[in-house]
Amino acid sequence: MAGMKTATGDYIDSSWELRVFVGEEDPEAESVTLRVTGESHIGGVLLKVVEEIKRKQDWSDHAIWWEQKRQWLLQTHWTLDKYGILADARLFFGPQHRPIILRLPNRRALRLRASFSQPLFQAVAAICRLLSIRHPEELSLLRAPEKKEKKKKEKEPEEELYDLTKVVLAGGVAPALFRGMPAHFSDSTQTEACYHMLSRPQPPPDPLLLQRLPRPSSLLDKTQLHSRWLDSSRCLMQQGIKAGDMLWLRFKYYSFFDLDPKTDPVRLTQLYEQARWDLLLEETDCTEEEMMVFAALQYHINKLSQSGEVGEPTGTDPGLDDLDAALNNLEVKLEGSASTDVLDNLTTIPELKDHLRIFRPRKLTLKGYRQHWVVFKETTLSYYKSQDEAPGDPIQQLNLKGCEVVPDVNVASQKFYIKLLVPSPEGMSEIHLRCQDEQQYAHWMAGCRLASKGRTMADSSYASEVQAILAFLSLQRTGGGGSGNHPQGPDASAEGINPYGLVAPRFQRKFKAKQLTPRILEAHQNVAQLSLSEAQLRFIQAWQSLPDFGISYVVVRFKGSRKDEILGIANNRLIRIDLAVGDMVKTWRFSNMRQWNVNWDIRQVAIEFDEHINVAFSCVSASCRIVHEYIGGYIFLSTRERARGEELDEDLFLQLTGGHEAF
Amino acid sequence: MGESNEDIDQMFSNLLGEMDLLTQSLGVDTLPPPDPKPPRAEFNYSVGFKDLNESLNALEDQDLDALMADLVADISEAEQRTIHAQKESSQNQHHPASLEVPDFSGAAALGYGASVAAVSVSQYEDDLPPPPADPMLDLPLPPPPPEPLSQEEEAAQAKADKIKLALEKLKEAKVKKLVVKVHMNDNSTKSLMVDERQLARDVLDNLFEKTHCDCNVDWCLYEIYTELQIERIFEDHENVVEVLSDWTRDTENKVLFLEKEEKYAVFKNPQNFYLNNKGKKEGKETNEKMNAKNKESLLEESFCGTSIIVPELEGALYLKEDGKKSWKRRYFLLRASGIYYVPKGKTKTSRDLACFIQFENVNIYYGIQCKMKYKAPTDYCFVLKHPQIQKESQYIKYLCCDDARTLNQWVMGTRIAKYGKTLYDNYQRAMARAGLASRWTNLGTVSTGPPAPPAPPATGLKTGTTQANGQIPQAAHSVSAVLEEAQRHAETTKDKKPALGNHEPGAPRAHQLPKSSLPPPPPLRRSSDVCGSPKTAPRAKGPGGGFPAPPDDSLPPPPPPPPLEDDQLPPPPPDFNDAPPDFVPPPPPSFAGDAGSPLPPPPPPPPAPAPEVAKPPPVGVKRPPVPPKRKENPAPPGGGGSGEQDFMSDLMKALQKKRGNIS
Repeated sequence: MAGMKTATGDYIDSSWELRVFVGEEDPEAESVTLRVTGESHIGGVLLKVVEEIKRKQDWSDHAIWWEQKRQWLLQTHWTLDKYGILADARLFFGPQHRPIILRLPNRRALRLRASFSQPLFQAVAAICRLLSIRHPEELSLLRAPEKKEKKKKEKEPEEELYDLTKVVLAGGVAPALFRGMPAHFSDSTQTEACYHMLSRPQPPPDPLLLQRLPRPSSLLDKTQLHSRWLDSSRCLMQQGIKAGDMLWLRFKYYSFFDLDPKTDPVRLTQLYEQARWDLLLEETDCTEEEMMVFAALQYHINKLSQSGEVGEPTGTDPGLDDLDAALNNLEVKLEGSASTDVLDNLTTIPELKDHLRIFRPRKLTLKGYRQHWVVFKETTLSYYKSQDEAPGDPIQQLNLKGCEVVPDVNVASQKFYIKLLVPSPEGMSEIHLRCQDEQQYAHWMAGCRLASKGRTMADSSYASEVQAILAFLSLQRTGGGGSGNHPQGPDASAEGINPYGLVAPRFQRKFKAKQLTPRILEAHQNVAQLSLSEAQLRFIQAWQSLPDFGISYVVVRFKGSRKDEILGIANNRLIRIDLAVGDMVKTWRFSNMRQWNVNWDIRQVAIEFDEHINVAFSCVSASCRIVHEYIGGYIFLSTRERARGEELDEDLFLQLTGGHEAF
Repeated sequence: MGESNEDIDQMFSNLLGEMDLLTQSLGVDTLPPPDPKPPRAEFNYSVGFKDLNESLNALEDQDLDALMADLVADISEAEQRTIHAQKESSQNQHHPASLEVPDFSGAAALGYGASVAAVSVSQYEDDLPPPPADPMLDLPLPPPPPEPLSQEEEAAQAKADKIKLALEKLKEAKVKKLVVKVHMNDNSTKSLMVDERQLARDVLDNLFEKTHCDCNVDWCLYEIYTELQIERIFEDHENVVEVLSDWTRDTENKVLFLEKEEKYAVFKNPQNFYLNNKGKKEGKETNEKMNAKNKESLLEESFCGTSIIVPELEGALYLKEDGKKSWKRRYFLLRASGIYYVPKGKTKTSRDLACFIQFENVNIYYGIQCKMKYKAPTDYCFVLKHPQIQKESQYIKYLCCDDARTLNQWVMGTRIAKYGKTLYDNYQRAMARAGLASRWTNLGTVSTGPPAPPAPPATGLKTGTTQANGQIPQAAHSVSAVLEEAQRHAETTKDKKPALGNHEPGAPRAHQLPKSSLPPPPPLRRSSDVCGSPKTAPRAKGPGGGFPAPPDDSLPPPPPPPPLEDDQLPPPPPDFNDAPPDFVPPPPPSFAGDAGSPLPPPPPPPPAPAPEVAKPPPVGVKRPPVPPKRKENPAPPGGGGSGEQDFMSDLMKALQKKRGNIS
């Protein structure tokens, strides 16, 4: 090794002094000085550094970072000469894995250690393995947006920060399940809590917060996000990320492979959360009717997740846990049937009979509600002038199968109407029932709902339907029942969910809470039977079928064009969009694509499609590397096959998405 | 006459043979006869018939066999009854069959009451003929034509038994069944028994077997609302009985069996639906053709993801204003959640859209001749309505497109949005079925060819009369039975309806024979005729659909005076009826027209048919034997192709000639 010197202290070999700082790029950091020659291997240098430091510690994760070249010296058999390192090189001896704060798709923050030395693609894969999210290729990291200084103080302190920095994963192997969660989560109560945070949907956000959060007001705004993606082929260190920085973890490619509720609780939940926020923050637009369905699903999901009815066996120890689950199931079933039995064990055909006020809207009718004796049996509603006439012919008999049931309820003013639109060969006949109180309303309403689907009150879901309706009514009482257009503050109590937390702010402005509640309730009846994961999946599917779903926008300028336009990148196509109007001008499908090239110097992407269609554009809002990565990424994702399972062809990915330095 | 008797003999002997087999397989226990009139109330409709008798008659020759087959296949279930019936039948063999039959129809009439409607509803239980024939024996019998009678009687008896068994079985299953008259594309009709569990797919399979068409994926059940002038394709997964239950009793709606290329157009040329709006200019030509691989990947992308992709579809359509004859042009958009329109002064961004209709409670129909009826701007209209609405109503929405292409896109797009992946699954099932059919056809023709001629001797069933023409059917039958057997093995995947599906195939299959240029013609159909032919009605049908009526020369004078109506009196009329289909269709079963008086209106045999001839379609076409040869014959092979038909009819003529000679 270097450092031979004469008696006078002159070095006689060609050695020189190399200064290595210990720590993470801190100019003030302690440093050691070694005597090396050009032939010294990196491995030897590392050894010497450790010797010099004279501290006992596990150094295995440490490596040398060359600051000027922004490069890790990871090839331990390479010599300093080969790396081109001279005495003026600023080298830092530091850990390769450093803590970062991840902002998850569910907007919670999590501290964990990420690799600062591997290409981001691998680092993300490792993070996802830790979080037990399959198919990490669909996710990536974004820089956090720069914060405006003002509000910082109020929010930050109260946020709970989950910490997974202590958790170490055995490399390579898929983590085994233990007590329904990956084994590494079951070490402590903290990590367990963390797993629950990951795998269970979060409660609806505070509507006030929702209104404050930035929302895109135009397509242009939607392009902002996509300029923040980190490079997949370079490591975090190279991209200027420092330990403790906040990064966002998001699904980047909207092509979700093999989504399986059974094996993917975390992935499903995080995807659901991303979808939910995407809709709440109006990143993806939807119609009013669609929003009501989304709101109903959120309500339902939240209800299930709050009540702990996770619904599905979240991965179990084959033995006891299964048994437990089975017993639990059994219990639930028994209970369920028991409760309905109470209702109808005496009469095998359950029926409702009561005095209700009925109104039949007709042309030229001004009559209001009149009291009738109403009998509801199976799926048929009959009404009589009075109870005495009940054995005779009813005034009218309506089979509610296939009918539309519209609630018209206002708890505050004690208004409980059920509007029925009953199909008949002649068209639809409309009839309004007016109930006296919540209880009566809930029972009749539940009956009508079931009947409209062809089921009777003997159906096992009747009792739960009644409960759901009551719950929703109480929601109206506590939540939005108030007069205002004004969203109430956070209402964390289990029952009271503010409907404003379930819809995008523009609907908060458009509707009063009491208008919103019945509509959500109405949509809820179609999803009320779903389990937690089914509901999440349904939410994701509905999100996916929105026309604007999964399009990443970038401002570009097409060759030969003088104005900026938007390029939309979806999982199967590129879309040219008029910046001002938002109209889709042209679509090119990846399946017709022959090749694409990036001219890094002039930041231009050129794409050739079948039949000699050539498209070229330069990227304005994001670097052309981001566009390039999106295209390559989608091409890569389309090559996945079920047969290959979860193995990733990383080289192919990097090849498709990497820049010139990758080759 | 002699000739026709022989036929009957032949068939009867077949029947006996079958019964022997049955008894053997059953072991011999005597069980008490089942309750004659089970109290359970279950009701059955017949759709498309003027009255019950008609439907029953139509049903008998074709479907009782099927039901019988069901029984046989499912012996354990029906064991007791079957045995019982066996005994009886053997006891009663020599009783005049007419006894039984009249009783039955009488009962039926009673049960039915008023049968004015085209859709008749019958109370099968009530119809149930008292099982044993004994009581009936006492009845004064209209002496049927003396000689042939005994055999015919037996046949009739056998048929009555079959009816009984079938009804028993029905009752047992407590399954609602409809007798549905299906209009074929050659103006003939077929009557099918459809039970409430059957999907359109099952019914199609059933029809495939009955008609021996090519089974390609374009075949569909098609519903036509004559009054509303709308029509649509049944989706393969739809429950037929459910759909038909929405029809009113006096409906003129029809069910058709025909090829519609629109049915699965999207799967054959997805590019026409998915790539249409993009790149309007050069798109046109490039989109016309697409290679199979691209199509496949496009389909995969659209239908196999986590959620399906609804084609992007938007444009100006004319909307008929509620209750008026004026049409307003609006800009509509299709989304997975429904059809939306752009309100005045708004843009077509998601947030501005107003919901026009959601798909949950509506079906989409083609509007026919709306230009004339509603003054639509064009004839390319589609209609959305709740399936239960059968009359003009403001709740029916009419939309009008500029051209046929747009119309097809909207209809298909709506179906995709409404049914989602189910549509694709249906298609794949249809493809599988079509593939199977073509393979089977090949197999069938090959194997049938050679064995056919020798078969007659081989079949060792009791043959009362060993006449040439008698044997032929026999042969064919056995062959088909063999095939059937083979088929059963072959298609293990076939669904639950073994009876309707598997046994019946015999009939159509028989028609393949001619294809192989072998003469064994009038097979199964024939035999089934006899066994199930107490009535002329079926008869007439039988020969037409099945085959070879005896030649004209055999024209027997209308059989005398069976006091009972045809339906009751099996014997004579049928036979000659067979014979002279072209000419004087004698016997006719007047029951149809006579509405409700199944009993004895002396049968003016000759006249009856005549009227029928005159007005086949309106009456319900039940007795379409009129144009038997040309029309009905094709029906079975119908799907097969037009070329075949000529060949078939030639063959038939030749055959008849031959038979005529022999007799």
